[in-house]
Amino acid sequence: QGEDEIGVMARKYTRDFLLIFAEQCIDLPDGFDIAYDLAEALIVSNLNVRREPY
Amino acid sequence: ESSTKLTTKTLKHPLEHLWTFWFDSPLAKSRQSSWGNSLKSIYTFSTVEEFWSLYNNIHNPSKLAVGADFYCFKNNIQPKWEDPICANGGKWTVTFARGKADICWLHTLLAMIGEQFDHGDEICGAVVNVRGKQDKVAIWTKNAANETAQVSIGRQWKEFLDCNDNIGFIVHDDAMKHDRAAKNRYNV
Repeated sequence: QGEDEIGVMARKYTRDFLLIFAEQCIDLPDGFDIAYDLAEALIVSNLNVRREPY
Repeated sequence: ESSTKLTTKTLKHPLEHLWTFWFDSPLAKSRQSSWGNSLKSIYTFSTVEEFWSLYNNIHNPSKLAVGADFYCFKNNIQPKWEDPICANGGKWTVTFARGKADICWLHTLLAMIGEQFDHGDEICGAVVNVRGKQDKVAIWTKNAANETAQVSIGRQWKEFLDCNDNIGFIVHDDAMKHDRAAKNRYNV
């Protein structure tokens, strides 16, 4: 999406472009780690989180 | 297998900045004596794909508990007035009825991480505050004295949100001195 003369990408993405990827990335990122009490408040599914509190 | 991993990684869409999600839960706040101690960084992402992987698994603002604050800030900036990059800044705020901020929050995040603001370098990050009667979404900026940049950000934000309300910019320093009596420095 736009490239200058030295080949550095201008990393600008429109809303429509970003939305294309919404349904392709549904799993929590690799290595995601969060305390259980935070996960309860924040995460839709608690499958991938630590069970013991800090 | 290593070549497969490399290909997958290459195909990801890098963002201009690294961004960090932060969360301050009402429960954690009640256990802490001073403000800011309960603020936790959740995850730092650098690609479009990582953003969605997290966004798709965290609650929308309408599902967060009353009292929660959820932030998305450039990764070298802490979402605190005391952060040296925020210290001279301020914020634009849009207010919603409780539970009605979800779309605005998403569109705010997409405009920020997609670098859609002409003065994107001025932006520190965004926050959604979930409260009893209303939800508030705010964009924090760096240099409150730079009127051209602030007004541009405020106007563009309203366009991105398709928002026709008048919105105000409050300087952090004024908010510290006057709390809720602080007056808007700019309006758009």
